[in-house]
Amino acid sequence: MSYIKLDKNKCKSCYLCMDVCPKKLLKKSNEIGKTGEYTVEFKDEQNLCLGCGQCAMVCPEIAITEVYKDE
Amino acid sequence: MNEKELLKGNIAIAKAALNCGCKCYFGYPITPQTEIGEFLSGEMQKRKLAYVCAESEIAAINMALGAASTGAKVMTSSSSCAVSLMQEAISYASSDELPIVIVNVMRAGPGQGYIFPSQGDYNQATIGGGNGDYKTIVLSPSSVQECVDLTYKAFYLAQKYRTPVILLADGMLGQMAEPASITENPYPEIDNSSWILDGAKSRPAREIHSLEPSQNKLNRHIIELYKKYTTIEQNECDWEEYNCDDIEVLITAFGTMARHAKALCNHYRKKGIKMGLFRPKTLYPFPYKRLNELSQKVNVVIDIEMNMGQMLKDVRLAVLSNAKVSFIGKPTGDMLREEEMVDASKNVLKEYYANI
Amino acid sequence: MQIFKVPKSIKKNSNFTFCSGCDHGVAIKLVAQIIDELNIQEDTIAIASSGCSVLLYDFLDVDCLEAPHGRACAVATGVKRAHKAMGNNKFVFTYQGDGDFASIGLAESMHSALRGENITAICINNTNYGMTGGQLGPTTALGQITTTSPNGRNIEYHGYPIKTAEQIALCEGVSYSARVALYDIKNIMNAKKVIKKAFEYQKKGLGFSFVEILSNCPTNWKLSPKDSHEKIKNELVKIYPLDVFKDVEND
Repeated sequence: MSYIKLDKNKCKSCYLCMDVCPKKLLKKSNEIGKTGEYTVEFKDEQNLCLGCGQCAMVCPEIAITEVYKDE
Repeated sequence: MNEKELLKGNIAIAKAALNCGCKCYFGYPITPQTEIGEFLSGEMQKRKLAYVCAESEIAAINMALGAASTGAKVMTSSSSCAVSLMQEAISYASSDELPIVIVNVMRAGPGQGYIFPSQGDYNQATIGGGNGDYKTIVLSPSSVQECVDLTYKAFYLAQKYRTPVILLADGMLGQMAEPASITENPYPEIDNSSWILDGAKSRPAREIHSLEPSQNKLNRHIIELYKKYTTIEQNECDWEEYNCDDIEVLITAFGTMARHAKALCNHYRKKGIKMGLFRPKTLYPFPYKRLNELSQKVNVVIDIEMNMGQMLKDVRLAVLSNAKVSFIGKPTGDMLREEEMVDASKNVLKEYYANI
Repeated sequence: MQIFKVPKSIKKNSNFTFCSGCDHGVAIKLVAQIIDELNIQEDTIAIASSGCSVLLYDFLDVDCLEAPHGRACAVATGVKRAHKAMGNNKFVFTYQGDGDFASIGLAESMHSALRGENITAICINNTNYGMTGGQLGPTTALGQITTTSPNGRNIEYHGYPIKTAEQIALCEGVSYSARVALYDIKNIMNAKKVIKKAFEYQKKGLGFSFVEILSNCPTNWKLSPKDSHEKIKNELVKIYPLDVFKDVEND
C-alpha cells in the first residue's frame, strides 16, 4: 500500500500539493492552521495513492514528511 | 632573526604578520600602506597561503570576515578613507566575535584628503565607525619596532578576545625606515576549536550571525559583549611614561606624534621645567586610571595630536578637574616641529612659569 | 519502499519562516537533499545573506556564517581560501536573493565569478525585494508593479533589469551558470539536477558555479501560490529564459 505522512502543524495552506496529486487525495481539512486557513489532510480510504511523491516535491514546508510506494 | 635591519613601518607590519602565523591577507591598494600588500603578495604565494587582491576594501574586509570564521589568523590593511568602507563589516565581526587584524596606516581626511600622515582616525577607530554597541581594540605604534611588537599583540588579542583589533599607524610610520628586528612572537596560541566553522563533523552544526530577531537574546548578546569589553579594559591597558617620575607638566600624545613630543619634553627639561610624556599604546582600552593618577601631580596637561583634538576628550575624561587641559594640534602634513610645539606651549606655560 | 523523507541536512524540528507557498522552501529542500546525496554535510560551510534567505542557519543542519548584505561571495571566498591555506578542502556555497547577489553585492558576486573562485552561489530571483515588502529590485521586469514602481517599471525612471545568469556566464572563471524555476514537478526535478551539477563542479575544482532560481513571491505579487507559479510559467520565463548558459564540461 502506498501512502504519505503529512504533518499538519507544518502546513501553511498553500494547497500546491492538492493541485499535483494525480488522485486528488489531498483535500482541505476542517482544521485552521498557522496561516489562518484550513490545513490540508490526506484521505485515502480506497488505497488509491500511487506513492508518486509529487506532493512532497512541491510542498515548500516539508509538511509532507514521508512518502511510501508499494512495490 | 633577531638582528636589527633597516625596515619601513609597512614592511615591519607585513613581516611580523607572516612571522606570527598570519594565514590570510586580503587587501586593496591605497597610499600610504600599499607596501604591506605588495610585500605579502609574493611571500604568501610562496608559502601557499591565502592572498586575494580584492576588488574593493568592502570585499577585502568581508573576505577577512569569512576567513576569520575558520580560525585562521587573518589580516587586512588600508588607510583612512578606505577604512571607512570597512566599518560595516567591522561592526558585524564585533557582533560575530570574529578575530580580524585591521591595519590602518592613517592619511589625511576628511574624504579623500591626501596622502599626508595624520592622526585623524582616532575617533573612528576608538569609538567605532560602524553601527551599534561595539568596541574595537586599538593599538598605536610609535616606532618601527613597535609596528612589529604591536602586530604580534594585535593577532594575540584578536584571538584571545575573539574581536577585531585595529593597528592604528600613520603614513609617517608606514613610510619611514629605522632599525628594528623581527623578534620571535612572544604570545601563546589560542585554542579556537570550540567555535570555528570547519564542517559539522562529530559535533552539532555551528552558526555565526549578528541577526537576532529575539529582543531578549539580542540584549543578552550585547550585554555579554560589554562584559568582554570590561575585561579588556581591566586587563589590557598599555602605555609608556617618559620622564614622569617628578613631573610638573604632563604631555599626552600617541603614535608618531609622541616621538616629537619627547623632543619638547627634553627641551623644557634643559630649562628646568619638569615635563614628562604619557603615551597610550592602547587607544581602546584607554588608560584612564593611570593618566588620572599622573594628572594629580601636575597643574597642566598638554595634549598634542596630528589632528584637531580627538584623543583630547579621552584625556579630559581621565584628567577631570585634576589639572588644566590644553591642546596643540595640526590636522595633517608636516608633523608639528619642536619649534612649533615650543611656541604653542609657551602660551600655556607662561601662566605657571614667569621666565619662559 | 520509502521514496521521500525529511532530508538529513534539514535541522530537526525546524519550521521554515517563509510565506505560504514561497519557493524558498522548495529550494532549501533541494539543497538539503543534494548535500545528503553528495555526502558533504560534514564538510559544508553555508553562507547566508540578508533578505528572506537570512535565516538559512535555522533550517540547514550545516555550519553556517551570515554575510553582511551583498557580501556573501566575498565572505565565501574568505572561508574557502582560508581553509585551503590550512590544507582543508571544504564545500562552500552562498544562498542569496537577487537583491543581495545582483544589486548591492554585484561587485562581490561578479568578481568572485571573474576570479573563478571555487565556490557555488545560489540566487533566488523573485523579481523584488521580498523581505522589505516588495520594492523594485535589479530583476524587476519592465512593466512590473512594485511598491516603488507603482506604475510599473519603466525605462525612464528605473532602467533595465539584469539577467544575472547570462551575465555571470560571460565571466571566464565560471564553470557553470544556469537558470531554473520551481513552478512544476518537471522544473523542480530539473532544478535539482542543475544545482547538483553546480555543487559537483565545485567538488571537481572547476571554478565558480552559479544557479539562478526564478522564484515566486506570492505575498508581494499579491497572487495565490498557484497563480504566482502561473505567472512564472506564462510571463517571466519569456523574460528570464530557463537554460544553461555556461557549462565547461559541455561547451
